[in-house]
Amino acid sequence: MAYIEFKNIDKFYGDNHVLKGINLEINKGDFVTLLGPSGCGKSTLLRCLAGLEQISGGQILLDGEDITNKDPKDRNIGMVFQQYSLFPNMTVEENLSFGLKLQKLDTSEINRRVKDAIDMVELKGKEKEYPANLSGGQQQRVALARGIVMQPKVLLLDEPLSAIDAKLRKSLQTSIRRIHKNLGLTSVFVTHDQDEAMVMSDVIHLFHDGKIEQSGRPVEVYTKPVTPFAAGFIGSYNILDAAAMKRMTNRDWQGGQVAIRPETFFLSKDQITTEDYCMEGTITDSVPRGNVLRYSVNVNDVEVYADVLFRSASIYDIGDKIHIGISDRNCVRL
Amino acid sequence: MKTQKKTYILALAPFLLLCILFEIIPVIYTVVRSFFPEGGDMGFTLDNYINIFTGKLYQQAIINSLMISILSSVIGLLVAFIGAKAVHENGGKLKQVFMSILNMVSNFSGVPLAFAYIIMFGNIGVMTMIGGNYGIEFLAEFPLYSVWGLLLIYVYFQIPLSTLLLIPAFDSIRKEWKEAVALLGGSKGTFWRKVGIPVLMPSILGTFSVLFANALAAYASAYALLMNNVSLLPIRLSEQFVGDIIQRPEFGSAIAVVMMVFMVLAITVQNKMTPKKGGRQ
Amino acid sequence: MNQEKKNKHVGAKLAIVIIIAYLLLPLVMTLIYSLFQEWVDIMPTGFTLGAYTELFSDPLFWKAVGRTVVISIIPILLCTVFVLLAMYVVVVYHPEWDRLIQILCTIPYAIQGVILPICVLSLYSSAPEPFGNRMFMLVATYMVVILPYVYQGIRNNLHGVGAPRLIEAAQMLGASKFYAFFRVVIPNIMGGVTVSVMLAMAIVFGDFVIINTLAGGHFMTAQMYLYDVMKKSGQRTCAVIIILFLVTLIISACAFFLQSRGKDRKDR
Repeated sequence: MAYIEFKNIDKFYGDNHVLKGINLEINKGDFVTLLGPSGCGKSTLLRCLAGLEQISGGQILLDGEDITNKDPKDRNIGMVFQQYSLFPNMTVEENLSFGLKLQKLDTSEINRRVKDAIDMVELKGKEKEYPANLSGGQQQRVALARGIVMQPKVLLLDEPLSAIDAKLRKSLQTSIRRIHKNLGLTSVFVTHDQDEAMVMSDVIHLFHDGKIEQSGRPVEVYTKPVTPFAAGFIGSYNILDAAAMKRMTNRDWQGGQVAIRPETFFLSKDQITTEDYCMEGTITDSVPRGNVLRYSVNVNDVEVYADVLFRSASIYDIGDKIHIGISDRNCVRL
Repeated sequence: MKTQKKTYILALAPFLLLCILFEIIPVIYTVVRSFFPEGGDMGFTLDNYINIFTGKLYQQAIINSLMISILSSVIGLLVAFIGAKAVHENGGKLKQVFMSILNMVSNFSGVPLAFAYIIMFGNIGVMTMIGGNYGIEFLAEFPLYSVWGLLLIYVYFQIPLSTLLLIPAFDSIRKEWKEAVALLGGSKGTFWRKVGIPVLMPSILGTFSVLFANALAAYASAYALLMNNVSLLPIRLSEQFVGDIIQRPEFGSAIAVVMMVFMVLAITVQNKMTPKKGGRQ
Repeated sequence: MNQEKKNKHVGAKLAIVIIIAYLLLPLVMTLIYSLFQEWVDIMPTGFTLGAYTELFSDPLFWKAVGRTVVISIIPILLCTVFVLLAMYVVVVYHPEWDRLIQILCTIPYAIQGVILPICVLSLYSSAPEPFGNRMFMLVATYMVVILPYVYQGIRNNLHGVGAPRLIEAAQMLGASKFYAFFRVVIPNIMGGVTVSVMLAMAIVFGDFVIINTLAGGHFMTAQMYLYDVMKKSGQRTCAVIIILFLVTLIISACAFFLQSRGKDRKDR
C-alpha cells in the first residue's frame, strides 16, 4: 500500500482551479519530485500535504491515516522552504531545538538529536551562530537540519535550492540525496528545474496546468515523453508535426506529433546509410552548450536542433552542407 | 473544518472598538450634527454652512487658513527642494548632520516654537529691541502678531517636515540617468526639466498634501501667539466648543466638516494628479 | 569641469548651512534667553542658571512631567497591543483584511490637529461613564492619533521579517498559529516596533491641542505647564522649553540608536 495517497484533490483560489482532481501515490522511502513550470500547481499540492493550504475537495492519506483535516502541527511532516525561513532571533541550535522543546522532550534527548542533525548537514562549529551570519548555502543546511531533527514521517522540500548559486547547488543536491538515503526518509521535492529532478529523484511527477502530465522514473520521463508538453519541458526536444516530418524525411508520414531529442541526430560530412532516415541539410547556427555543440540545421526547409559532442572532427561552419540521419526508434510518437 | 472555532476574531475587537468609538462615530456624529439647526432642535438645515460661507468672520477664517496653508506649504517645499537637492549633490558627512538637525527641529513646534518667535520678534523681543536701537525699521516693526507673523512660524515647522520627506525621493534619482541625458546631449537643466522633476513629481505632490493638511490643522502655535484673536479655521472651530464665548456645537460641527473636506480634497487631488506608475512598483 | 564641480559643491554646502542656521536660530535664541537675566541689545547680560534651579525645585513642574510621561505611555502601550492583536488576525487568517486596517489607520491623518479632539469632545462630553470621563477620552484620542505611526511601524516590520513564512515554518515544527505569531514573530519585530513607538511618544509628548481641548486646565501636563508659565516669566518659559526639547531629543535619539543598531545587525 502506498505511504502517501492523494485522492481526487481539487483546489480552488476563488474561480481559479489550481489542482484538478489529482490522484497520486507515493511509496515509503522514495525520493519523489513534483516537476513543472511555475504556476502548475506543484507547490500548492505540497503545501496541501503540509496542511498549510486547505484542499477544496478530495482526501489525503499518510501512512493509512486520513490527515485531510489535521492542522500542520499535528501531521508530523517536516518542511524545508525556498527562503530558508529560519528564525532570525535564534541561533542555529535554538532553531533546531525549537520544535523538540515544543514536544517537551528531555534536554539530553534534544541535545543529542540537535547534535546529530548538525553533524549530518556538516555545520559543526556553527551551533551558536545567528542565521544572518551564515551564507545562503549554510542557512539552507540549517533549514534542512531543522526539517529532519523532528524525525518526520515525510520531508517536504519546496524549491529549496532555487535561491542558491549553481556551484553550491550541486553539493547541496548531493547532501540532500545522502541524508534521504541514510535516514530512510520519504521525501517530496518540488522544483522547476528538470536537470535537478533528473539527478535527485526516484520518481518524477510532471505537472502541467493543475494536472499530472506524466509520471515515471527519470529515465522514462526523459526518453519517452507522452505529450507535447512533456517533450517540450524535459530536455529540449524537437517537436515536429506529421507534415514537417514528411517534408524532412521525404517519406509518407501518418499520425500526430513526433518528438526527437537533439542528441539522437547523427551528423556527418559523408553520406550516411546506417540510419532509418538519411537526409541532407545546411547548418544555420551553432551554439556551444557545455560539452556539446548545438547546431541548427535546415533539412528540406524544416529547422531542427542537433547536438554533437564537442570534438574537432565534428565542428562545422554556418552554411556547411552536411548529411544528417535519425533512426526511427528515436522518433517518439506523442 | 468549516465549524472551526472563530475565536481569533476576538483579537480584532479592541482595535475595531477603538476605531469605531473614537474615529468613525465621532466623525459621523459631527457630520450629522452639522446639518441640525442650532439650539438643539431636531430637523435638517444647511444654515450652518450658509453661515460659514456668508459670515464675514468665517469667510476670513477660510481665506486666512487656506492662504497660510498653501503659502507655507509652497515656501516649505521650495526650501526643501533646494535643501534636498543640495544634499543629493553633496552627500557624505554633511548629509548626516543635516538629517540629524532636521529630525531634531521637527520636534520643535507648537507652543515652544511660538514662544521662541515671541522672544525674537515679539513686542519686547530681542530682534525688535535691536531693530529699535539701531533704527532697523523692518525688525522694529515686524508684524509678528498677525497672519504674516503666523506664516513665518508655519514656514519654520514646514521646512524640516518637507525636507525629510523629499530627501528619500531624491535618493531615487540615479546617477546613470544624468549620465544618459548628458550622453544624449542634454544639459543639467534639461535633465531636471525632462527627467528629474517628472520623476520627483509624485513625491512633491504627496509632500505638498502632507504639508497642507499639517498647516491647516495646526492649532497650538496660533493659539499660543494670538489666543482667539486670529481668524483661522482651527481657532474658530475650537472656540465653538471650548472657551468663554457661547458654545455653538452644531455650527462648530459644520466648521469641522469644512476642514475635513479640505483635508480630503488635498489628499484626493494629490492622488488624482499623481501619474500612475507603469511597470512594477 | 573640475572647477565647475567644486563650485557646485560649494553652492550646495552653502545652501545646507544657511538652512541649518535658519532652523537652529530660534532654538539657540531660546537657549541664550533662558541663561541670561536681560537681553535688550546685541549681547545679553547677567548670566544665570537661576531659571533652571527654580524650575527644578518646583514640584508642580515635576508633577507635570510625570503626568506627561504617564499620559504618553498608557495610550502607546495600549495602541501597540491593539494593533498587534489586529495584525495577528490579518497575517494569520485574513491577509485580505489588511486593506481595511490600513484605511482605518490612515483616517487619523484627515482628522488631525484640532478636528479629532473636537469631534470626540462633542460626542462624549455629556456621555455616561466611562466615556464622559476626560481621562478616558484623552487616552483614546491619543491612541487614534498615533495609530498611523504604530501601524506603519508594525506592518513594515512584519513585512521585513517575512511573518507569514516564519509562521509556516513554526507550524511545521509543531507550533500553533497563536504560538507562532506571539512567540516567534513578535520577538523578531519588537526592536523595530520600539522605534515607531518612540516616535509616537515624541508626538504625544509635544501635544498641546488635544490636552487643551479635552482636559483644559484640569490636567496639567508639561505642555500645559509651559503655557501657564508663558504668561509669567519669559526666562523660565525658555528654560522649560529647553528641558522639554531635550527630553524629546533623548526619546528620538533612543529611537534612532535602536534603528541603526537594528540595521547593523541585519547587515552583518
